[in-house]
Amino acid sequence: MIGNASVEAAGHGGSLGENLTHHIQVFEWFKHFGGISESIVMTWFIMAVLIIASYIFTRKLETFPGKVQNFVEAIVGGINSLAKSVLGHHWRPFAPYFGSILLFLAIANTIAMFNMTLIFRPPTKDVSVTAAMAIMSIILVIGSQLYYKGIGGTFKSLFEPMWIIFPFKILDYFTRPLSLCLRLFGNVFGAFVMMELIILASHNFALPPIFSLYFDIFDGLLQAFIFVFLSMLYIGEAIE
Amino acid sequence: MDNNALFAIAAGIAVLTGFGAGIGIGNATGRATEAVARQPEADGKITKTLLLGMALSEATAIYGLAVSLIILFLKMH
Repeated sequence: MIGNASVEAAGHGGSLGENLTHHIQVFEWFKHFGGISESIVMTWFIMAVLIIASYIFTRKLETFPGKVQNFVEAIVGGINSLAKSVLGHHWRPFAPYFGSILLFLAIANTIAMFNMTLIFRPPTKDVSVTAAMAIMSIILVIGSQLYYKGIGGTFKSLFEPMWIIFPFKILDYFTRPLSLCLRLFGNVFGAFVMMELIILASHNFALPPIFSLYFDIFDGLLQAFIFVFLSMLYIGEAIE
Repeated sequence: MDNNALFAIAAGIAVLTGFGAGIGIGNATGRATEAVARQPEADGKITKTLLLGMALSEATAIYGLAVSLIILFLKMH
């Protein structure tokens, strides 16, 4: 489980492509859980980290914050101001949801940087996880539209600029979650394959940490932000 | 030519959508640089719009990647 996995796999012999496909496959250790997939176990792990961290950081809140509380307040303030700038004056009920989605995705996408020593693989490289998150987003879009505009207003907004736009508005409800899902999955999976290839091809010498800065940290954080930002834009458009 | 090679070539052709995404992102970044040079105080808004445009134009490349993955998975089963 812990140890240098790529060196072990390189010992199997075979070409670079065979080693790569062997690496990308679902890790065998998880099969002993009786059909529970690797991405679910990683999701549980990230949830545990987030829950424990939120308990620790909000345990003793003070009026005059210390260093740690200042840091946490800066994160929450940043999320709130992002929601305010996109959603306008309806930002309040959406900020906690998007904050948790952003924190979860930020950890889930960047967790692959520990992949060389501990076997931490990003759960978002599984298309089922990103599909679930995209469906959550589109349900929130439709629900908030129904809540703020009512059924009649929602129906009227389908024909809003001209009646001919109607089929495209219906199509939007399907293409938007599809593109949200595939964008996140494709980026994370592509970055994951690139990192595995670099690790295998460089024989763990010097290159992986440098490329990990871009593929794991920069790309992961950017995609987490883009997912949340696009979902917010859709909601802002739906309830305006 | 055997079947596997054809599948590999098909997957490779599907990823050629990356051309369009590269051109689009390059265009958007160039225009954003011009905009920041002209109006440095609108920095935040420009960055946000640029990120959005990049995400949308990048989606084409991602669709290509998804199609090529589907082709490769078809090969395995």
